[in-house]
Order: sequence, then structure tokens, then C-alpha cells
Amino acid sequence: MDLKRRDFLKTVGLTAAGSLLPGCTQASHKLIPYLLPDDEIIPGIANWYATVCQECEAGCGIIVRVMEGRAKKIEGNPTHPLNQGKLCAVGQASLQGLYNPDRIRGPLQRDGTRGEEKFRPIGWEEGLSRWVSALQKHPKGAVMVSRPVFGTLAHLFSEFMRGISGELHFYRPSDEVAVRAANRLSFGIESLPQYDLANATYLLSFGAPFVDRWLSPVHFGVAYGKMRQGRPGVRGQFVQVEPRLSLTGASADRWVPIRPGTEGLLAMGIGQAILKRGRGRLAKGDRSRFERLYAPFPVDRIEAQTEVPREDIIRLADEFSSAAAPLAIGGGIAAAQTNGTDTLMAINALNILSGNLNRPGGIRFFQPPRNLPFEEDPPSGEETLEKVRSRFDEGRRSVLMLYQANPLFTLPPSMRFGEVFKKADFIVSFSSFMDESTAMADLILPDHFFLENWSDHLQKGIISVPAVGLAQPVVMPLYDTRAVGDLVLSAARAEGMPKVDLPWKNFREMMQGRWRDLSNLQAFEDPFETTWIKRLQQGGWWGAPGDPLPVQKREPPASIAQARFEGDEKTFPFYFHPFPSLGLNDGAGANRPWLQELPDTVTTAVWGSWIEINPRTAERLGLRTGDMVRVISAFGQLEAPAVLFPGTRPDLISIPIGQGHSAYGRYAKGRGVNPLSILAPLVDQKSGALASGATRVRIERVGRPGNLVLIDQTAQGDKRNSGAARGEA
Amino acid sequence: MQRWTGALLALIVLGIALSVGFFYSQGSADFWGQDRQPVAFSHRLHAGRLRIDCLFCHRGAQISPVASIPPLSLCLSCHRSLKAQTPETEKVLAYWNSRQPIPWVRLQRLPDFVRFTHQIHLYAGFQCTDCHGEVAQMSGTPRAPTYEMGWCISCHKRNRASEDCFTCHY
Repeated sequence: MDLKRRDFLKTVGLTAAGSLLPGCTQASHKLIPYLLPDDEIIPGIANWYATVCQECEAGCGIIVRVMEGRAKKIEGNPTHPLNQGKLCAVGQASLQGLYNPDRIRGPLQRDGTRGEEKFRPIGWEEGLSRWVSALQKHPKGAVMVSRPVFGTLAHLFSEFMRGISGELHFYRPSDEVAVRAANRLSFGIESLPQYDLANATYLLSFGAPFVDRWLSPVHFGVAYGKMRQGRPGVRGQFVQVEPRLSLTGASADRWVPIRPGTEGLLAMGIGQAILKRGRGRLAKGDRSRFERLYAPFPVDRIEAQTEVPREDIIRLADEFSSAAAPLAIGGGIAAAQTNGTDTLMAINALNILSGNLNRPGGIRFFQPPRNLPFEEDPPSGEETLEKVRSRFDEGRRSVLMLYQANPLFTLPPSMRFGEVFKKADFIVSFSSFMDESTAMADLILPDHFFLENWSDHLQKGIISVPAVGLAQPVVMPLYDTRAVGDLVLSAARAEGMPKVDLPWKNFREMMQGRWRDLSNLQAFEDPFETTWIKRLQQGGWWGAPGDPLPVQKREPPASIAQARFEGDEKTFPFYFHPFPSLGLNDGAGANRPWLQELPDTVTTAVWGSWIEINPRTAERLGLRTGDMVRVISAFGQLEAPAVLFPGTRPDLISIPIGQGHSAYGRYAKGRGVNPLSILAPLVDQKSGALASGATRVRIERVGRPGNLVLIDQTAQGDKRNSGAARGEA
Repeated sequence: MQRWTGALLALIVLGIALSVGFFYSQGSADFWGQDRQPVAFSHRLHAGRLRIDCLFCHRGAQISPVASIPPLSLCLSCHRSLKAQTPETEKVLAYWNSRQPIPWVRLQRLPDFVRFTHQIHLYAGFQCTDCHGEVAQMSGTPRAPTYEMGWCISCHKRNRASEDCFTCHY
């Protein structure tokens, strides 16, 4: 047989291909047994561990399904009084934080210049000693910016920072700062109340996005369900007042598209109408005070400024005052103005007027029993961080410590917090991920992910029972990370450090000590060891419902300041509203693919940013859904594809927060835009929280299509949108 | 003539490749050591001559969806004190001494969309051998019969067990 070279090669190729056919072995084709059997593990049988979700400040109780030492699924803890067995998408997706391929896997030391993002791995001993010597080199020079933490870790941080004469700020962008300030001024109690949605019959919400993401979305979701469908024969009515129809607004019976910044005025108008009709439930002395307050606000002025027709104001007043259990709440965009606290106080005044304080279906303040060994540390507003910057400017502070806070992303560059990162002598981050701020650090000492960590969580307000969640590690640490609590304790023990009274060997021991105190105070019957196991199994401790705190002060706002806006109306004709997105929150969710592909409930957009524009406005500019639009403020500009959305006022431009990362791993980096980056440095006058709705913008057509992915294909055409409502209720 | 040879060659090669693939996918062939275990463990010796009960090693079968393979420490409970070691038993000791688990080759695997549990079948009174064959007489462990749906269903039918889809697919 005459076999040519070419034929030979063909034959060899085919044979090779044939032999590859059965040759695809995978790692999963191996069965790896244990060396020693684990008493708690039966292969194939799931263990469920109770712990606390730490993806936002709410602190829902969760149970985690663990198989052979791997966390597989997370559900709500049915016994936890806050979320009652439910859990949001962010909590579900926290598994993707644990297994995230971009987690920092061990201590890192900066290599090259700051911000160059070159790091080299170091040992823990070296890392710790570098941090400690930086603290020693700059006595009284340290500032710690942490995400809000509650319970023992908060106590440890504050004791440590006090001990080394530094300062500590709990910061994450949230309207909670304004809500607390308003409650302090209105009621003399600076904490979050229980908004008893479940028992309300009429809910008037000024921008509070409680179905989207507000204080504790899961809790409010449960309560909202009860309000609407949980009582036989009673379906609570719900009106949402906000310039952009959020998911919450979309769930309401009626939407009132008010002019941004005038929500407080509308509340005044409603209050005035209630009082005029003699429907208020006020004490004698209070009545005259309220009349004096409302006097300078004639209804036509309110009508003109809010752009809510007079008859609507009257109707809202009638409905609110005739309801059996009316409730007014405020937050979100209503609080994100320079007059945010005033607005919230005017909304509080409606509750005072309707006499729903400390009544079912109203506002009730509960505080954990005073003797509980857990204290509450209020979060700081953006203004506080501006003050921190000035202290770095003056050289009074020089060491920056970051714990899961990302000010370079969440603060507008116009607040110039970036200068802290230039001026600081030493920056250390305890983050698990390379976010924008951590990328600027000199030293990274990564904490465990929360599913690998001990902690506890004091429940702040919101529910009527005192509750402290107990978080335990559900899996062994995946990487060479260390608990931040242990790090702080070892730094406190290090030689040459100021003496701090933190005698515990490790964080777990410290936590156990405080739970021992709780056990003694609450006089649990069992010995502590038994109690501890029980608490771990249950996921924490919750007591009996307490009595609501008496509210002595019932103060209407002295006046309502006009909302200030940056940029004049001619050059910048649009209001601008960056809103927290359902899944990505303030950006922390952007590195979780599940959350990226979670469609925005109203527009169905995924994996990117978009700009919501009213179809009428878009028509004027010749824009269609998917066209690139440039949004320009006095402080910067950005480009993203347009989504024509009839549920937005024609004078409003909205962009979801969360995208536009320049770091933060493969799923987040370089995707979309960050609307916070073009904001003016305006804050709410009374609370110091960022007034994220106070920047005016203009828009331009870019002239090319953008990369917009909508799940709902029917909405992509113009026909449906232009034929729809015109942005009115 | 030349073209003819080329086509014939290609056909032969393709035939060989296909048959190799076929036999492999049927689980009845052990080519190139695919299924060769790192230690030449013999069920004939352990389950046959020594009469060790299946559940002594595969402890999960009665309490869990998976039968599980024994932890190395269980092997060592006997292997530590063998009278005479052979080259294969030396391997077991070597794994133990280096604190490495034995990377057994997985022979049976059901797709993820099937929820099979050993436990319920044992409770129903089945013997291991009903499905796995007379393992006690096999020296090397071969791939067992194809655990495919038709096979499951035929047994379910014979024994009047549920044939609802959601019995296994949920």
C-alpha cells in the first residue's frame, strides 16, 4: 500500500481525535475521602447553621445550608423577628461574595506608588507589625471609616479608637442619617422607630423606597404584604409621593409625581387641610402651635411649588384624616435634598396630627432594654467625612483605616475625599475585595467573609421586640484571611501601643463575654454553656415585646427651608436623581453576577447603567430607548444608554447607583457609570447627609446606540412607551 | 487507487474511534487505565473473603443520599496492624503518613437533575447487590451497569414504586 505523507498526517490526526473522545477527565471524577471522619458531617446530608446576613445594615437572620463544609444555599431564619424567614436577593447572593474569584486571599503590601494597584503578598506577622508601627509612628493620628456594624464589633472598634485617641465613623450612604435627625428633632428620640405598616390602613409615603431598598427591605416587604392582604376584609390603601416612579411607587394605589424638594411643603399642605377641617387629633396646646406653623403656607403657593393640584392635596388630607390607622413615612429622594430633615419633620408632623404615635399601625419607638450590654452607634453623614478630610488637610490626622467602606466610590469626587488618600501617611484596609478605596491602600489585611466569621448584631428599632442576632462561621475560612476583631485585639496588645482595656485573647471570647452578661441580665435558667449553644442554634436572642417608649416631645418643624439646587435652571434644566438599585445597593453588590443579572424590576435592565428619561423629553431630543445620552452637571459628565420611562417627571433624569466601578473585580470593573461622580457637594443642612438629589443637570444626545440589555423586549420599541402615560398620576 | 486507500483508512480510523467511544460511554470498557484506582483495592478480598459488611465502609448508604467512601482512618483501623504488608497496602500507609487522602476514581455518577438517595432504597428492603452486582466476587471494581432512567423505571415498575417525574426530578 502506498501511503503518502499527507494521508499519514490525516490518519494520525483522526486517531488523536478519536483517542481524545473518552479522555476528558475532570476533577469531579475523583472521590476524595476524609482522612478522619468529621462528627458533624455526613456526606450527602446538609447541615443548616443559623447566622446573620451582613450584606446591608438590616441584619436579617439567615440559615445556611452547608454540605461537606461548603455553603450551598441561604434562606431567611424563620424565627428571626425582623425578616421572619424571608430574605432578599442580596442576601441570597452573598454566597457569591464568599466564593468570589476576586476575593483578597491574604495580606498584601503595596508595591510601587499608591493607587498603582500593584501589591505583593506578605505574611500576617509582617502585616500586623507594619500596621502597628504605623499607629505608633502617628500617635492620635488614626481615623477609622467602617461600614455600620452593630454589637460587639462596634464596641471593640470604639474602645480601640478611643484608646489610641483616634476617631471612628460608621458610614454607608443612607437616608437613615436624616431619618434619625428628624426623629430627634420631632420626638426627642434619635433612633429608628417601628413603622407599623402591617397594621396601617392608609399609608402615605413620601419617597420612602421601602419595597426597593430602605432601612430593612425584607422586614418592610413582609409588613407590606400584611398591610395589603394579611387582614380579612381590610386592604390598606397606599399612596406614594415621589418624582420618579420607583418599584415602591409602582406597587402603590396612586402615584403623586411631585416636584423634587417640595415633599415637605406638600406635607404642610396636607396638614393644614386636615387642621382646617377640624380632623386633627391634637392636644389643645398643640393646636395653636400647628396653626402658627401652617399659617405662612397658603395652599396656592403649595400648589404652585409642588405641582400637585389643590384637589389632590385636599383628597390626600381627607383620606389621611379619615383613615382608621393612617401612617406617613418619608425617605429616599424626599430625604436626599438640602432640606431633607425639614421635609421628614413635616411628615412626622402629619403623624403627630393624626395621633398615631405609639398606636398600632402608627409610629412606635422601641429601644432595647437599657441594660442590654450592646450599644447603638449611629451612622455618620457625608458632612462628617468632609470634616475628616479637613483634619487630614491640616495634618492633624494621618492614618486612614477602612473597614468595608468605600468612600472613593460612594462619595462624589466634588467632596474631595480623594485628598485624604493623597495626604494620608498610611492607609490600611480590612476589606475582602479590591474596591476603589482598598486599591489605594498601603496595606491590606483582609477580614474573613461574614459567613466565615463570628459577630453579633443588635437590632436597631424597626421591630417591637428586643433582638440581638448571633453570627457564627458556617464554613472554614477559604483563604489566608483573619477576623478583623482578632486583628484589632492583637494590635491593642502589641508592645508600645497606648494601654487599651481589651483583655480578651480573641474576638470570639470577647463576644462570648458579652453574651454571658446578657445571659446574666436576662436571667436565663440554663448554665451559660447551654444558653450559648441554644443561641447559636436559634441564631440569636429575642425577648418579649416591650412597651413603646413614651414620646414626650411632639414638635412640628419651625419652618421648612427651600431646597437648594446646584446649577442654574437655564443651563441645567433637569433635576437629577441617583437612586439605589435593588440588587447593587450602593455599589457593593456589583461584583456578584447574580445581582448583575437581576433585572431592574421596572425597566428590566441588566448588567449595566441606564438613564431614565420621560418619553416627552426624549421626543424633544429625538432620543429612543437604547440611544446614548450624555448627562452633564457642573461637576462632571457621564454617558449611558437611555430608557424611555413614562414613570418619571419630564424634568427629571434618574440613574441607578451601583455601577461604574474602576476596580472591585472582574464583574464590576469598567461596567456602566457611577451617577454619584457628578454630584455637587451639597448636604442636608440639619443632618449632614449627602443631598444626592440636589444637583441639576442637562442632557445631550451622543448620537450612537448604547449597549443596553433589557429583559423585556416589548419595551424596547418606542411605540409602547410613547403611547403610555405622560408622567402624571 | 490512492484516493481509495485514503478513504478506507479514514473509515477504519473513524470506526475504531467510534467503537472506543461507544464502549467507554457504555461503561463496559477500561481503556488506558481510565478507571484504574490509585490503590488496587479489591472488593473480592474485603467484602468476599473477609466478609466485611458493605455498610461498614459505605456508612452513608443508610443515612444519606450518598453511600460515601470511608475516611482513610477507617482503612487504617485494620491496615495499621497487618501481619505482612504488600506493595499495595504500603501505598495506603504512605497516603496516611503523608496525610493525603486517596484520590479514588469516581465510577458512578448520576447527573445533577436526578435526586437519588440510597437511604430510601435500603429501607425498602433492597440489597446492595441488587443494583451493584456481586461486588464480593469482583477483584477490580468495574463500572456498574448504566444507571440510566430506563433502568430505574423498569425496576420501579417491577416493584410498583412511584413513576411520577417528581419522585426523582425535583
